[in-house]
Amino acid sequence: MKAEYKVPGGKLLACEVEYDQAITGIKIFGDFFMHPEPAIVDLEQVIHGKKREELPKAVSGFFENSDIILFGAAPLDFVKVIEMALDSE
Amino acid sequence: MTEKWRLIDMRIENAPTQMAIDEAIAMARLKHDTPNTIRVYRWQPSAVSIGYFQSIKKEVNLEACEEYGVDVIRRITGGGAVYHDYGGEITYSLVAPESHPKMPRDILESYKEICGAIINGLGNLGVEAEFVPVNDIGAGGKKISGNAQTRRHGVVLQHGTVLVDSDIKRMFEVLRVSKAKISDKLIAAVEERVTNIRRYLDREVSFNEARNALVKGFEDSFDIELEPGQLTTEEEELVKELHAKYSSHDWVYQR
Repeated sequence: MKAEYKVPGGKLLACEVEYDQAITGIKIFGDFFMHPEPAIVDLEQVIHGKKREELPKAVSGFFENSDIILFGAAPLDFVKVIEMALDSE
Repeated sequence: MTEKWRLIDMRIENAPTQMAIDEAIAMARLKHDTPNTIRVYRWQPSAVSIGYFQSIKKEVNLEACEEYGVDVIRRITGGGAVYHDYGGEITYSLVAPESHPKMPRDILESYKEICGAIINGLGNLGVEAEFVPVNDIGAGGKKISGNAQTRRHGVVLQHGTVLVDSDIKRMFEVLRVSKAKISDKLIAAVEERVTNIRRYLDREVSFNEARNALVKGFEDSFDIELEPGQLTTEEEELVKELHAKYSSHDWVYQR
């Protein structure tokens, strides 16, 4: 399942998701900025295995408990694009 | 006394080498083995660079790149896809510590500061340009430069593209726009969003003229003197190591 989301006033987010009672595969794409960049893999690992309803808390918590800086997207924008992908089928 | 930074001037290299050089300088600067550095450079062959988080298949028309002999590479910086046209584009990079008095710690502010040097440089040519947050520079309401920054343990690396006389049609063939969609109408729409120095000034601008203007822009903005220099032996060794990474399928196709 795929989705793209242009953050209003921000950058493009996209994702590919596999879901079988929980997220079994996730890849995030886009032209946003995340410092440090390799943290994207940590974010994907946090998302992996979560149920849809667990995503907002898991993703928000991930950013709140880190020093990661985002430009062009906010934490819940990542949730939004994943939910859009889940709703695409 | 005016502070001196190193200028690595107009090296023409392929995509993996250019990206390896930028990262090597940042790594060496981290170990205090190398001075603050500005580079201006060109890519041969022409190349598309994509942002760290971008999907290569979504962003790049790989068949068109193959057809035209255009390299494809992934940057260590975020942001969007860029067409580095050998015949019409200059890339710059800056490496300096975030503790430098002219370098705002705040990332957005530092974009503004560094882009200010490019805007000064464009102004030297007669291009009235302005900063378009987060990371673009516009002229006449159209994009003329895109920029991307990363930080590694207190060292700032920012690189960006300055469109001198880029082939806009080719740009949107190699970036992900299907050939079927490349109608005159679409190209016209694209041309409304992107410009270059030659088009803005409606005159020929040589690479040397653009290079001189950009170098002076950096010197004036950062109150520095740029001294031509070369990579150190250590940096050259790092370039060799990093070239392998940037050339690898695992790196380029990771997303």
